[in-house]
Amino acid sequence: MNITNLIKELNLDVETQVNNDITFDNVYIGDLLSVVMSNAKENSIWITIQTHLNIVAVADLIDISAILVVENMDVDEDTVEKANELGIPILTTDKSAYEVACEICKLEN
Amino acid sequence: MKELSLHILDIVTNSIDAGANLIEIEVKADTKKNYLRINIKDNGKGMSKETVEKVTNPFFTSRKVRNVGLGLPFLKLAAEQCDGFLKIQSEENIGTEVTAEFKLNHIDRAPLGKIEESISTILNFHQNFDLIYIHDVNGKRFVFDTNEVKEILEDLSIRSPKVLMWIKDYIKENIDKI
Repeated sequence: MNITNLIKELNLDVETQVNNDITFDNVYIGDLLSVVMSNAKENSIWITIQTHLNIVAVADLIDISAILVVENMDVDEDTVEKANELGIPILTTDKSAYEVACEICKLEN
Repeated sequence: MKELSLHILDIVTNSIDAGANLIEIEVKADTKKNYLRINIKDNGKGMSKETVEKVTNPFFTSRKVRNVGLGLPFLKLAAEQCDGFLKIQSEENIGTEVTAEFKLNHIDRAPLGKIEESISTILNFHQNFDLIYIHDVNGKRFVFDTNEVKEILEDLSIRSPKVLMWIKDYIKENIDKI
């Protein structure tokens, strides 16, 4: 699925620039970075409440398509800056991880 | 990381990569002052001031290899998310001391976990160094020193499976007693 599509359908806020060509074919939910690192697959949307710069490093290492920060968490400035530099979109929403996951699931069917 | 012992494994691996042959790990819990402190001190090659400032940035060492270079950034985040802090003191050609402090009863603080596994893993995969592990709960202490073990073993290697098994049990037993 296309990332621009997802942003529109789920009415997500966008913290960084978003390249319209980015797609994803998987979703991963997790907040413990070491576990995300070993289990998330590439080309995934990663749903998390973490906002520290470390999330960009993890996303970069495993080639995550985009990071979706839920529960209305404020994303740190340096996180946004680095994500822009690496072209990893950071999206936000006030919904919970469960709610957005359900919505993505509906979109896919 | 799910357990603090895995953070310790990561940081001690840094010490070994820095050429340390003496590593001292102290885990200190104080229920009155409500902190859990991990202190790892080595006599490795140390770091310049400039490097110390950069090592907690995940993009300083981030490589395309799993779990490499993120040890300090992850530990710093874990400590800060538990109302604690990470401090690094280092001097070139002298060594490095990493201190991570957590609020002991913070709900997000990971358990120490299987520290005996981390220690035996370190002993199994690396050679030619001594390791001291100090476990302190409210002033009650247990000290494990590989130098003492080696004296008893004489010619037998500390890395032989039987010895490592014994070390694991010995550490666990003594920590449980505190």
